[in-house]
Amino acid sequence: MTKAVQAKAAPSVAEFPASDALEAPRYSCALAGAYSTAVGLYGTVPILHSGAGCGIGQLFGQFYGGGQNAGGPVGGTSTPCSSLIEEHVIFGGEKKLRNLVESSIELMNGQFFAIISGCIPSLIGDDIESVVKEFREKVPIISVKAAGFSGNSYQGYEAFFESLIDQFLTPQTKVKWQVNIFGIVPYQHLFWKGDLDVIRELLESIGLKPNIIFTRFDSLEALKSIPAAEYNIVLSPWVGHGTAEKLKEKFKTPFIAFPGVPIGPKQTSEFLRVVGKKLKVSSKTIEKIITEREQRAYRFNEYLGDILTLVRPHAYFSVVADSSTAISITKFLANELGYLPEIVQVTDDPPEDKRDLIQKELLETLETPVKPEIVFEVDSYRIRENLKNRNSLFLFASSLESPIALSEFGAIPLTVAFPSFDRLILEHTYAGYKGGLTLSEDFMSKFAGPL
Amino acid sequence: MESKMTEKNIPHIIDSKINLDEATCPNREQRANGINVWYGKASDLVQEAKDGALKRQERKFQQTSGCVLNFYLTVRVGTIRDAAVIYHAPVGCSSSALGYRELYRGVPVELGRPAEYDLHWMTTNLRENDVVYGATEKLKNAVFEAQRRYNPKAIFIMTSCTSGIIGEDIEGVVAEVQPKIKAKIVPVHCEGSRSRLVQTGYDSFWHGVLKYLVRKPTKKQKDLVNVASMLSYTWQDRLEIKRLLEKVGLRVNFVPEFATVEQLEQLSEAAVTAPLCPTYTDYLSRGLEQEYGVPYFLYPSPMGIANTDAWLREIGKYTGKSKEIEKLIEDEHKVWIPKLKAIQDEFAKVKGDGKKVEVLGALGQGRLLAQLPYFDELGLKSSAAMCQDFDNLILGDLENLIKNVGDFDILVNTFQAAEQSHITRKLDPDIALTCPFQGGAFKREKGMTRIHALRGDPDPWSRQSGYAGAIAFGNFLLQSLKSNAFQRTMLEKTENSYKDWWYRQPDPLHYLVKEG
Repeated sequence: MTKAVQAKAAPSVAEFPASDALEAPRYSCALAGAYSTAVGLYGTVPILHSGAGCGIGQLFGQFYGGGQNAGGPVGGTSTPCSSLIEEHVIFGGEKKLRNLVESSIELMNGQFFAIISGCIPSLIGDDIESVVKEFREKVPIISVKAAGFSGNSYQGYEAFFESLIDQFLTPQTKVKWQVNIFGIVPYQHLFWKGDLDVIRELLESIGLKPNIIFTRFDSLEALKSIPAAEYNIVLSPWVGHGTAEKLKEKFKTPFIAFPGVPIGPKQTSEFLRVVGKKLKVSSKTIEKIITEREQRAYRFNEYLGDILTLVRPHAYFSVVADSSTAISITKFLANELGYLPEIVQVTDDPPEDKRDLIQKELLETLETPVKPEIVFEVDSYRIRENLKNRNSLFLFASSLESPIALSEFGAIPLTVAFPSFDRLILEHTYAGYKGGLTLSEDFMSKFAGPL
Repeated sequence: MESKMTEKNIPHIIDSKINLDEATCPNREQRANGINVWYGKASDLVQEAKDGALKRQERKFQQTSGCVLNFYLTVRVGTIRDAAVIYHAPVGCSSSALGYRELYRGVPVELGRPAEYDLHWMTTNLRENDVVYGATEKLKNAVFEAQRRYNPKAIFIMTSCTSGIIGEDIEGVVAEVQPKIKAKIVPVHCEGSRSRLVQTGYDSFWHGVLKYLVRKPTKKQKDLVNVASMLSYTWQDRLEIKRLLEKVGLRVNFVPEFATVEQLEQLSEAAVTAPLCPTYTDYLSRGLEQEYGVPYFLYPSPMGIANTDAWLREIGKYTGKSKEIEKLIEDEHKVWIPKLKAIQDEFAKVKGDGKKVEVLGALGQGRLLAQLPYFDELGLKSSAAMCQDFDNLILGDLENLIKNVGDFDILVNTFQAAEQSHITRKLDPDIALTCPFQGGAFKREKGMTRIHALRGDPDPWSRQSGYAGAIAFGNFLLQSLKSNAFQRTMLEKTENSYKDWWYRQPDPLHYLVKEG
């Protein structure tokens, strides 16, 4: 093709057809979500039935992107994988899987095994169930169908729990005040470890028996006891709802959904009151805890009064985050610090029927007449365009924005949502009474200087 | 041209000719009888390879290790500065590219990083419907969108297992869309399932570059040296190589990482293609010679003093700078040889009984060739080495390596963490060179450190190439011997991934399926 012919034939870019291709969506695939979920359950060994790169790709993308976390003893390159190639595409991968499961059980330290199958077995129609059933007698094991093209990280999380419910859980006697926590996807939700620990402590403080499922060393017991809960608590406007619905259907466990993980005293006190009421905890107990914790939190809030007022009071801010993080952060900044939300871009592609609720949470719960523009956007190119020519001094977003926030948007960035390659996140959390203070420390330290 | 002479005696390099009429390269399995599992004496490996006796064998137990697309390409191709990349794949295949805006940002502008640059990639986000009905329309529209949004000079299309298995006609899309857009479209056939050897990914990428981007030379640039650099070479490695070649009036054309499309186009005009990693550069080097007469050499890499000397001399030959190079070497030696001597003395003192410090590295086959002589130069002993994969492209060079440093054990495996943990514990070297791809192999009583840093690392402390790198890495290795607190504590306090029997039995390839 000569240049002359090229130029002659080339139509203007405006005439090109529309595309639904996405620049850098802020999640990975269903396999990644199911895999993250398994790795978040200590003692569970994930077994990938997939191409050889699926695990290491998620180590780079999902795990390092999830706050620079390593895969640990069974994640990353420690994860068994059937490493399918062309000959398996032609002849099937079942034999390879059978060998892999057998050897993984023999070799790996673990209490529970989860086969997570990706695109290739789904495309070639491997009969995974026929393999799994050979092992069901020997070890606790499930198989999760999580072809990459079947959904995103969030849907992979749901797929894991749906398979667990279908294949593994059995009815249990209900335990008074036991509650399970859902809606927080390991790695994808950056602060999953710290947030869950705070939620556990909060619920224990009012006498409940929370089962946070992840980061427990007795993960097999944690999983088995899911049907024993009196209530399930879901901390997302949409993630974990499928799981909770299924548990309700199968084990008659009702659930309470919150729009996100509570950040700061206002959201946290409301969380405790709602949970306490549903589970019939005496309001005296609840109010006693709330009074003590709020007193301390707000006394500590006094310390930031000067820097806030002198340097960056009532500032505009923008948010780019998954729906749960976006809601909690926006409410905290608006309702506790008097900051002004300019635009909130919701990046986790929530289902259509949940979007009204998300909008409502972002508009109607704010104690400020300034309401943010709300945009549901997955495409990082358009997200970037939407941030241009704004007034925001702060951008609560991901490490996709951090390197360009100051130069392009004039905003100080803080990474609060996936991906986070620029923050190592181990126990860090913004949840609960102390969490609001921590969030204030993190973003105010970015402009702190001699007053 | 050592490697080319030996090549003539090897019947198993079946595809020394590169066929750019094809849509893609042959797999390394076909091209050079590549394998990814083997354990034994390196001399036996050479013999078996010569006899054509090497077989591709299955493991009963295997761990995730990287595919043709997802080990190198997803984090590499997207760094080409005025290009855009489209992953024709489900959303997860490109998640490892999510760091694209941050890569290289840590390099200060004062060190030569351009202040303004922007990188771009998109995914076609293949879903159930696409799998059923096909997605070539989606791909076409994505190419148009990339042109509209980014106005790039090139658009790379990266394929995936899914696009391959559902039979997407990538070449058809290129033929149809290319006349309508300005950017050059470069399809890269890197379906994860096509090959068990991740190195096939390099070749498939270079095939696309050679076929679609490299231009017919408009002029020969006699002072231009092509250097293809991997992600495991840092910014400081580039600076050192640049420093040395500029001293004799040569310019370096670093590709593909963080290069411009123009730099790829002008590969044909260079005086020579020089290696950092021979098997990474192999396909490109051969292609450039075959198509445009650009000479190349594949050995040695500029790692260690002696090999840097030899590397520079090779370049001198092809650029008519031999005299200047000799002067350069002489000048550099005055600076660096005393420092090397100091490091050698320190290492000699470590054990105090005349015994050498033992080092075990896990290396790509290129790094194997480069690093073992360097360790030898430092006065370290490598009784064994791990190698990601092995193919006949390095057969002659491996033979020479054994001649020079003596025989050693070699475990060929691509990031098989259980096997690597096993051999690390069994051999118990003084320093285990590791990376995150060996699982818990780092947990041990003795020395542990990383095998290499990454491209975005701008610190002189992290360099390994050239003279400055030889000294920096020598000191770095000495420093690694000063504490074992992290790895020892983790060994004591955390549960091992594998059951105890694994370490009690003798064979790292316990799970090799023998009937193959």
